[in-house]
Amino acid sequence: MSYNIDTWLKLAAYTGGGLAIGLGSIGAAIGEGHTAAQANQAISRRPDLSGEVFKSMLVGQAIAESAAIFALVVSLVLLFTTPANATFATVWALLAAGLSIGLGAIGSGVGAGFPAAEACKGMVHQPSVSKRLTTNMLIGSAVCQTPSIFALVIAFILLYTDTTSSPVWPTWAALFGAGLSAGLSAIGAGFGSGLVAGASCEGIARQPRSAGTVTNSMLLGQAITQTTAIYGLLIAFILLFKPYQASEAIAPAMALIGAGLCMGLGAIGPGIGEGVTAQSAIKWIARNPTEVGVITRSMLVGMAVAESTGIYSMVIALILLFVV
Amino acid sequence: MQELGKIHQLIINLGAHQAAFNLEVMLMTWIVMGLLLVFGWLCASRRTMMPGRLQVIGELIVGQLHQLTEDAMGKRLARTYSPLICALFMFLLISNWIGIIPHMEEPSKDLNTPLSLGLMGFAIAHYVGIRTKGFKAYISEYFAPMFFMMPLNLIGELAKIVSISFRLFGNIMGGSIIILVVSYLTYNILLPPFLYAFFGLFVGAIQAFVFTMLTIVYIATQAK
Repeated sequence: MSYNIDTWLKLAAYTGGGLAIGLGSIGAAIGEGHTAAQANQAISRRPDLSGEVFKSMLVGQAIAESAAIFALVVSLVLLFTTPANATFATVWALLAAGLSIGLGAIGSGVGAGFPAAEACKGMVHQPSVSKRLTTNMLIGSAVCQTPSIFALVIAFILLYTDTTSSPVWPTWAALFGAGLSAGLSAIGAGFGSGLVAGASCEGIARQPRSAGTVTNSMLLGQAITQTTAIYGLLIAFILLFKPYQASEAIAPAMALIGAGLCMGLGAIGPGIGEGVTAQSAIKWIARNPTEVGVITRSMLVGMAVAESTGIYSMVIALILLFVV
Repeated sequence: MQELGKIHQLIINLGAHQAAFNLEVMLMTWIVMGLLLVFGWLCASRRTMMPGRLQVIGELIVGQLHQLTEDAMGKRLARTYSPLICALFMFLLISNWIGIIPHMEEPSKDLNTPLSLGLMGFAIAHYVGIRTKGFKAYISEYFAPMFFMMPLNLIGELAKIVSISFRLFGNIMGGSIIILVVSYLTYNILLPPFLYAFFGLFVGAIQAFVFTMLTIVYIATQAK
């Protein structure tokens, strides 16, 4: 039994579509559940503030869900559009697009649940700062979405890329590797930056006078936590736009997939680890805002060391891309 | 969907080499600089003790950014570098916001803009490091904690340029790709204005601030 290219395209589009929304809804659901759990606790403590807590819970959940909505959009595009000028590389591009946004939405979904949960909890401890808390939560969880936005960008480029002018071998592997790199590397970064945003909401509720300092430090902590996701994006871009020589050999193709996998998996740990570092730093900045300089410096050094393993992965990925 | 990743270039042949100019980016950068000059002139041209509305906005931006720089770098360095930080933030803010006007493109959407700004910050940070610590102490930092860590320290330092510039580039270009694709899928009905508000105004402002913050931090850590 032999299949023509249309069959393969349909196969990849349906599998990719299923993977996108299937994987993509894992994180958002966990994050939203966490938010709701904390909101319940908060309401039971101060039933008179239930309206306000309820409102901020819903807003927080809506933002946590945006990563899953990105995955839904890609899923629908995969199911209902047929790519023009398809080659066999396109088959892999469709599968990779689904994997990229599916994996990429996990971390941001879980992460964006933390600031929303802490905002609900903080609101009943310190009702006078609820406005400041909501603003901080909105900024924090919007920045949490950055890794999933990177994954979405790679997914869109994969969906609409034109592969007719490049050789099928090893382009298919490069496209698949790009999806894996962007998707996997977003997991740790999304989760980690959620931890940071959660700590900042908790800190503002505890010490409202530190609010400005805490929000600034949160943005800094989140930005550095996401560094490894940026390395993943960089490797994905190189994989997508590097010109390749046609070769039927299997080794160059595997090197490209390996580069994507290596960068993607290597970025998960540093993302979470840096998130934990920054989370604790923000927690103590909030309690002791006058010592912000010293704490920030030790946070930055700690994060740089935690990030070094991500840099090792990037070095290996670059070697796989350009040397091997 | 053909606009995805298309660049208008002017290519000049110089013997064996080619010089490429991204015309759109250059034009937009000049427009942003012009807008900033006009804004600065309007803010400062009629300075009074009882400030008008524009003067208050200008003083607010400058004051806040100066305070931010001073907190991180200390009084002495902040006097030198807060004008730079202030200009960097306002340039990035207007660059990220200009895309919401039809037919305008964000200069920060092109990797060249964030990369050159990132390189600028990197160069300044290392200049400050050498100035404050002396050349010997500056070099010896690369060999800490062990001498064989030198290549990794060096890569880690260079990776900062990649991360700072790709963070801005990825966010702004990502936003514009998402807007483009979603507008195409929904035939420009209903959704795009909200996306422009989120990716253009909100994410643009946050990323401009983050880029500025990181530049401040890079300079401050080198100075210590």
